[in-house]
Amino acid sequence: MVPGRLSAASERHRERVNTWRRLPGWLAGAAILAGTHFAGNWLQASLALPVPGSVLGMLLLVAGLLVYGSVPRGLAEISGVLLRLLALLFLPAATGLFFLDSLAPADWVGLFAATVFGTLASIALCALLLKRLLLRGRREDTDA
Amino acid sequence: MPETPAALLASPAFALPLNVAAFLFGVWLYRRSGTALLHPIVGASLLVAATLHLLDIGYPDYQRASGLLYALLGPAVVALAVPLRQNLAIIRRAAMPLTVTLVAGAALAPLIGVGIALLLGASGPVLAALSGKAVTTPIALAIAAKVRAAESLTVGIVVFSGVVGAVLGPPLMRWLGAGDERIIGFVLGINAHAIGTARSLEISALCGAFAALAMGLCGALTAILLPLLAAGG
Repeated sequence: MVPGRLSAASERHRERVNTWRRLPGWLAGAAILAGTHFAGNWLQASLALPVPGSVLGMLLLVAGLLVYGSVPRGLAEISGVLLRLLALLFLPAATGLFFLDSLAPADWVGLFAATVFGTLASIALCALLLKRLLLRGRREDTDA
Repeated sequence: MPETPAALLASPAFALPLNVAAFLFGVWLYRRSGTALLHPIVGASLLVAATLHLLDIGYPDYQRASGLLYALLGPAVVALAVPLRQNLAIIRRAAMPLTVTLVAGAALAPLIGVGIALLLGASGPVLAALSGKAVTTPIALAIAAKVRAAESLTVGIVVFSGVVGAVLGPPLMRWLGAGDERIIGFVLGINAHAIGTARSLEISALCGAFAALAMGLCGALTAILLPLLAAGG
């Protein structure tokens, strides 16, 4: 990863110079995302699947990229921008948390405890499980 | 163009700049403070909520005016395919341990959450929203619509557990002797979603790659299973 980090500054410079030349790549990337999203929604609606169309679109795109062999640069860049802006995209929904007045006090206590302790307990269990499994895998590797 | 000041405040012409300004403020506050407790979404949503209260704008109006951001959530979920595809090679080597942990974690996170809430006597809407806890927000929103959970409650839970996991998760795992970067990344991806993935990227690129993978897979798995369970039950 070190070489990637070293070239980050020069990469940024090149990006500014080549913005116009790279525009078609970004538009193509955006079109791929929009098209796959649309295909996912269409698949969901026509087969009446219980899975959200966007998730189907994600799976379709992974499959498509595997067949294609690599990730087109424009698509990688436009996806990076969208994922960095995730917090902005769900800001309206998150703000709604301050406008919930239908919850009883007992609900708030339950919610708070479930979130804090539930998350920590789940993290501890997952970490210990994965650690055991990874160690066992390595032992089998050296045995073989 | 809206005619009155009140109509202008309830239009995208006001809501979108407000969202962007609040987001930039949230990012600035997060970088300034250097603590995951103030993840951009925390500062940004506080600022928006305060503005709406001060200017007496109704939340439904603001929500309607922010439609463009909602429209981009779907493509953002699809975009998760890119980190998934890019990390596939590293992941194959640890495929079995990761799959087992993923399935266990996807089941554990909501089960423990719902269990605790049930013990404390929380009501049905809260339990429904908690069941979507183990997935990143855009996927959780899509699922919430499917299982008819309250949208803002679902997002609030996802964001809040993300903050808790990103702040307390890494020290907890190191204390348990599971400080391997692959473990921290993968477990944060399952339990702390986008916020945990952002935190993992700060630890190392490898850590972030495992988090992005876990976040995408866990989201896909829950998205497939939860509506099926809700439809069956």
